[in-house]
Amino acid sequence: MTTFLETLNSRKGELLATLIEHIQISFIALLIAAVIGIPLGVILTKTKRTAEIVINVAAVLQTIPSLALLGLMIPLFGIGVVPAIIALVIYALLPILRNTYTGIAEVDSSLVEAARGIGMKPMRRLLKVEMPIAMPVIMAGVRTAMVLIIGTATLAALIGAGGLGDLILLGIDRNNTHLILIGAIPAALLAILFDVVLRVIQNLSYKKAITLVGTIFIVILLVAVAPLLTNRGDSMTIAGKLGAEPSIITNMYKILIEVETDYNVKVEDGLGKTSFLFNALESDDIDGYLEFTGTVLGELVNMPPESNEADKVYEQANAALDEQFGMTMLEPMAFNNTYTLAVKRDFAEEHGLETIGDLRKIEDIVKPGFTMEFNDRTEDGYPAIRETYNLNFSDAVTMEPQLRYQAIETGDINLMDAYATDAELREYDMVILEDTEAVFPPYQGAPMFKQEFLDEHPEIVEPLNKLAGMITDEEMQDMNYRVSVEDESPYDVAEEYLEENNLLE
Amino acid sequence: MIEFKNVTKRYGSKTAVGDASFDVEEGEFFVLIGPSGSGKTTTLKMINRLIPLTEGYIYFKDKPVSDYEVYEMRWDIGYVLQQIALFPHMTIGENIAQVPQMKKWKEKDIDNRIDELMTMVGLDPDTYKNRKPGELSGGQQQRVGVVRALAADPPVILMDEPFSALDPITRESLQDDLISLQKEIRKTIVFVTHDIKEAMKLGDRICLFNEGRIEQIGTPEEFLTHPKNDFVKEFIGSNKDKSITVGEFVSMNSGSAEHGNYPLVDEDAMIEEAFKIFAEHDTVAVITDAGYKLLNRQDVFRHLSEKRGDSA
Repeated sequence: MTTFLETLNSRKGELLATLIEHIQISFIALLIAAVIGIPLGVILTKTKRTAEIVINVAAVLQTIPSLALLGLMIPLFGIGVVPAIIALVIYALLPILRNTYTGIAEVDSSLVEAARGIGMKPMRRLLKVEMPIAMPVIMAGVRTAMVLIIGTATLAALIGAGGLGDLILLGIDRNNTHLILIGAIPAALLAILFDVVLRVIQNLSYKKAITLVGTIFIVILLVAVAPLLTNRGDSMTIAGKLGAEPSIITNMYKILIEVETDYNVKVEDGLGKTSFLFNALESDDIDGYLEFTGTVLGELVNMPPESNEADKVYEQANAALDEQFGMTMLEPMAFNNTYTLAVKRDFAEEHGLETIGDLRKIEDIVKPGFTMEFNDRTEDGYPAIRETYNLNFSDAVTMEPQLRYQAIETGDINLMDAYATDAELREYDMVILEDTEAVFPPYQGAPMFKQEFLDEHPEIVEPLNKLAGMITDEEMQDMNYRVSVEDESPYDVAEEYLEENNLLE
Repeated sequence: MIEFKNVTKRYGSKTAVGDASFDVEEGEFFVLIGPSGSGKTTTLKMINRLIPLTEGYIYFKDKPVSDYEVYEMRWDIGYVLQQIALFPHMTIGENIAQVPQMKKWKEKDIDNRIDELMTMVGLDPDTYKNRKPGELSGGQQQRVGVVRALAADPPVILMDEPFSALDPITRESLQDDLISLQKEIRKTIVFVTHDIKEAMKLGDRICLFNEGRIEQIGTPEEFLTHPKNDFVKEFIGSNKDKSITVGEFVSMNSGSAEHGNYPLVDEDAMIEEAFKIFAEHDTVAVITDAGYKLLNRQDVFRHLSEKRGDSA
C-alpha cells in the first residue's frame, strides 16, 4: 500500500496530464461518433434495406481487434491523437447506430400515427415524439460506446496519442502493478463520471443538452489547442518503442541535437510495435527512431544475416534499407541488445559457467525456461543453440517474459533466455553466458532516418554519431535498471551519461 | 362538410373500399360501421390522408383533400385513435397543446384553451394538467384524447373506434359524455365502430360497410324499420343478440350472495364475458343495483334456450 501511494505521489503530475489527454480523446471521439451515428441511425429507419447493409458494415468494423485497427490507422493518418480518435469513432459507431435505429424503429406505431394524424411535420414528429421516446435506447447505445471508447483509448498510447494507456503500458512493460493500477483505476472512474454526465444530458431539453455539450467541447478544444500555440521553433520528432531503453536513448538523441543545433526535438517514446514506428517514419509522422540492426534484417527488409559479425550486419542492414526504402541508420552504439542465455551468478560460480558451451557438462541439472518466441525461432533461438553447441536438455518450459525472472528466483528454472541489456539481469543478479559460436545475430541500436531527411538536416548527423561505439551492455543494463526499477527519469539518466562521458562538449 | 365521390382504395388487386359515395353534413354525427375488414377504418383514414386513395374524390369544405397542404389540413381535422396514443413522455397539457402550438397560437391562449377543454370533459386542470398519461385511467386518457383532437377547434373530428379498448362501464359513460359534448360544440364527427349498439346510440346517420361496399346509409330508425337487405337485417340482428348484457339473465328469483366466494361480473357486461368465466366456474356473482345476485350456468342456458324459442 505504501509503495502504491509512493508511486502515485511520484506520478501525480503524469497522471493528471494523461487523465486530461484521456478525457479529451474519449470525449471528442464519443461526440463525433454520436454526431455521425445518431443522424445516420435516424435516416436508416427510412430505408430498411440500406439499414441492414450499413449496420452489418459497422458490425464488421467492430470485429477488427482494436490494436489492429490502431495499426491500420498509421499508414493512413500517421501517429498521434487524430488516428486514435478516428479508430475510436469507428469502434464506437455500431452501438450508437444500432440503438438509434432500433429505438426509433420500435416507437409504438400508434404514436407515430397519432403524430401524423394531428398534423406533425416529419421533423417535429422526430424531435417531439420519436426521439424523446427512443432516447433511453439511444442513450444506452451512447453509454455502451462510451465504455468501449474509454477502454480502447488506453491502447491509443501505442500510437502516440497519450492518455492513461501511457501509465498502464509502462506498468505492464516494467511489471509494475502499482503503475498499472494508477492508470487503470482512473480509467474506470472516468467511465463512471462519463456515465453520470450522460445521464444528466439525457434528462435535459435539446437546447440545454446542446449548450452543455458545446461548452464541454469548447473547453476541451481550448485545452488541446493551447499547447500547440506555444510550440514554436524548428522541431523534429524522434521516436522509440515501449520500454526504458528506447526512452533513455531517444532522450540522449534529443539532448545531443538540442545542445549542438537550433532544433527542438520532441521525444515520442513508448510507441507500440516495430511496424507502427516504421510506418510512422515512412509517412513522415516522425523524423527518426531508434532501431536495431538485427530487427532491420529480420522484420523490415526480410533478409537472413550474411554474417554474425556486428559490422557486417550493420553494413548489410544499411545497404538494404537504402535500397528498399531510401532510409539510413547512423553509426550504431556498442551494446548488443540481442538474445542471450543467462543464469544466476551463484549458479554460474558453483558450476564454473562462462560460455554457453560450458552448459554441456551440467546438461542433467539444467532446467531451462524460455519465452515462447525464443523456444520457436529456428535461426537464432533455442533450436539453433541446441544444434550448434550440441546441447541436450530435458524439455524446456515456455512462459511469459516477466514470469521467467520469478521462476528463476524460486529455482523452478535455472537457465533462461534474456535480452542482453535487460534491467532485470542486474535486479536479479544474473550473468550472461558468452555466445562463442555467434549463434545470436547482433542487435545494435542506431538512429534511423529517411536519407532525404538527413540531406535536409545534415547538422544532426555529427552530434548523433558521438554515440557511435559508446554504451556497453553493462552500462545499458545499469541505466535500464535505474529507470525501470528505481524509477528515475529517462531524461536525467540520459543527461548524466552524456555528461560523464564528456559527450556534451 | 365532407363528401365522398366514387372513392376506391385498392391494395394491389384487393379492393379495400369500392366506389364509396356519401355526404357528411356540417354538425352531423356520422357513424361508419361494419364487420372487421369491411373498409370502415380505411374510409376514415382516407379523409385525413393517412391512407392515400386510389380513385375518386374526397372533398373537405368543398375542396379535394389532395389540394390541401396535408399537415395544415390535419390541424383542421381532429383525430382520435382506438389506441388512445397519448404521447407518454409529455404531460397532459403538452399533449393537448400540440396542434395549437403548430398553429402558432399564443402561449396564454393555449393555456386557457387547455383549461377550458379539460373542464368541459370533467378533468380538473389543476389536478391533471401536469401529470403524465400513464398516471391516468384508460377512460381519463381517452377524454384527453378527445380534448387533444378538439384543441385547435377544428370543424371536423375523426374518431377511430375510440371507446373499444375501454371497459363497458367506462365506455358507456364516455358515450354519454360525447353525446352531451356534441350538443354543445356541434362538430362534424365521423365515427368508426363495429358495435351497432354504439352506432345506434351516437349516430345521426349510420353508414354500413360490407367487404368494401356501402350496404346502407340512413338514420338509426331507418335501419330498424327499413333494413335494405338481408345483410343489414342480420348485422343489426346478430349485434342485437350479442348485445345481451349479463343483467338480463338475472331475475327476481336469483339468490342474493356475499360475493366473496364467486367471481364478480357487472350487470352491464356483455354475456360473452360471463361465458369466459363460466368456462371455469359454475356460478358467478353479478353486481346489480340491488346488491350481488347469483347466476349459475344452468340459469343462463335455460334463459338462452327460451329466447331462441321466442324468435323461432
